Formats: sequence, structure tokens, C-alpha cells
Amino acid sequence: MKVSFKVNGAAQSVDVAAEMPLLWVLRDHLGLTGTKYGCGIAQCGACTVHLDGQAVRACQVQAQELEGAEVLTIEGLGRPEALHAVQDAWVEHQVAQCGYCQSGQIMQAAALLDLNPAPSDDEIDAAMSGNLCRCGTYPRIRAAIHAAAQKLEG
Amino acid sequence: MSQAITRRAGLGLAALLCALAPLSLALGPAGAETSGPEISFEIPEPGSVPPTLGAEAFERIYEVVSHPRCANCHVGEDNRPMWSGPSYGAPRPHGMNITAGESRIGAETLLCSTCHRTNGDFDTDPHAPPRAGLDWRLPPVEFQWFDRSAAQVCAQLSDPERTGGRDWVELARHLTEDAGHRGFVLWGWNPGGNREPAPYSLQTHVEDILTWGAAGMPCPES
Repeated sequence: MKVSFKVNGAAQSVDVAAEMPLLWVLRDHLGLTGTKYGCGIAQCGACTVHLDGQAVRACQVQAQELEGAEVLTIEGLGRPEALHAVQDAWVEHQVAQCGYCQSGQIMQAAALLDLNPAPSDDEIDAAMSGNLCRCGTYPRIRAAIHAAAQKLEG
Repeated sequence: MSQAITRRAGLGLAALLCALAPLSLALGPAGAETSGPEISFEIPEPGSVPPTLGAEAFERIYEVVSHPRCANCHVGEDNRPMWSGPSYGAPRPHGMNITAGESRIGAETLLCSTCHRTNGDFDTDPHAPPRAGLDWRLPPVEFQWFDRSAAQVCAQLSDPERTGGRDWVELARHLTEDAGHRGFVLWGWNPGGNREPAPYSLQTHVEDILTWGAAGMPCPES
């Protein structure tokens, strides 16, 4: 099926199987490989992107859900010369270790701060527990989210 | 006089039952299947069914609503969905520290729809999050079935204050309406992955609700 939608503000149109996960549309058809494949069954959060402003697991969104949608990926969250506050805080706190899960972590954190500008530790844990990090960077993730919240507050 | 109704559950019925809360939810995207199955039921005259048959029907009703496909999300005021069933051993709270919050859709922390997509295609991979044609959510807290006895569930289903104002006929219609949306009720018998479906069938469940209701909604003592 042909489906037209926006990715990082740019209009896109792809002709793919209706059931194809957004993850593969992004990676294989649009060449946006910043969104990572971890498990394919929403157990890890590595493929988190924003769909119409909400964090979703790209491995669970089918192409047939995308008509008219707006997708934001890690490539569109900020620019190298103007990082998103979450990305800026990630650098400051040197969150990443191997880095594989981090685009999903950052997209989930940005969505959290959109909904809750000043989350508590418990609220961070509740929102971020579906994003696994095998390197165990969780303390730095939490600290960076608090720092990003302060940056966004201004 | 009884009324015989046979229809394909769907939006026609939705228009008739617009007072039911789930109808305000958006339909999912076009999936491989976008309509529900044929559901027929005959509304018996109240009092036309012996209480013994009504009690037998409720036993089957309780088998359904206490099954993991139904009860795992019909949880209480801690707002935490459960994982239970043949593949889990002992029941446990939903993994990933999930709480649906007072919103019952996860709005306070992580929306259910982050993983559970609104999509009437029930055919998911094993262990992948199930999806349905209605926005994934927990039912209202007063509809708790998890860890509730047959007597407690029967009392709840008999009390319009705790059924969203529905009597037994409206409960049966609610089931067919949900099926028309390819919602959670229909999903319970078509859960995808390698999940065990709810016992009996949706058709039998609808008939049991009507039998139980016409028998005067008899409830077990325990």
C-alpha cells in the first residue's frame, strides 16, 4: 500500500506492505538508521520515536497506521548546532556507554518532558522503565532528565 | 415477547448505543479486518428462565471474566495491569514498572498506546504487546474482576452503579458493540501471539449474559 506522512517535518511517501513496522520503513526505506532495532516486540524501547507527538515503539506501529501522521525520530529531535535540551543534557552527563539504546532513551525522555516538565525520580522511573539499557546507565539517564528539565524551564 | 436480533456488530449498533462510553473512542486504522463477527442473540422475557439455568450460565460467565484475557486488565485501584496465565506461573504485575494511573490509560507516565496500538489486526508475534481496534486502557476501577470471587463479580455485574449504568440486556449489547469495533472483548477470544483465549466463545458469552439476566441475575454465595 502507498502511505504518505511526514518524517522530521519532511513529506514522505512509501509503497510498502500494510503490516510493515514503522521501524523498517524508517531504516530500510527512508535510510534513517538512528532508530534502532532491539527486540521487535516492544520489550526494550530501543526503537522509540514520536508519532503525532507521542512516544511509540516503532516496531509496533504498522505502515497502515501512518497516513497523514507526523513522525519525529532522533535525527529530527535536534540539530548538531542546536541540540535538543535532552541531547544537550545527555552530553553533559556523558550518559551513553555503548550507545545502542540511547536514541530510544532520548526520544522517550523528550516525550516525558513534553507531558511532565518537572518529573520526580519515581515519575522518571515509571516513564522510562520500558527502555532497557544493558550497560546500566540508568543513574545517568535519570540525572540527565532532571538537568534537561531545568534547561527547558529556562 | 422475546426479541430476536441478528446483526453484524458494527457502527450501525454504535449509533443506537451512543450513550456507552467506549463509543466515544476513535476507531483504529484500517486493518486486515475492520469489522466484527456475526453476533446473534435473542432477548428472553424476564422471568422466563429458571434460576438454576441462570446460575449455570453465571458459572460460565465467571469462567470468562476471571480468565487472564479479561481479568488481567480489570484490576483495582492500584491501576497496575497484571500478567497471569499458563505461561506466567504465579500472577505478577505487568512488567516494565507499568502503571496506568488514575487515567487508566497511562497518561500520567507512559501511555498504554506507546506499545499497545489501536489496530484491529489482532495477529501479533508471540510476546509482542496485544492490540485492538479501541484505544488500549484499563476499564473503570469499579469493574474490578482480578482477584474477585464469583459472588463479588456477580454483585458488581448486577449493580448498574458499577456497570456504567447497564442492565443485563445492555451488557449483552455492550459485548456486541465492542466486537463491532474489534475491541477488547472480541480480542479476548482472538488474542494473537501464543496467548490462551478466553473459554467458550463470544456468542456463548452473550447468550449466557442474557440467560442469567432473564433468570433474575442469580448470584452464587461465594
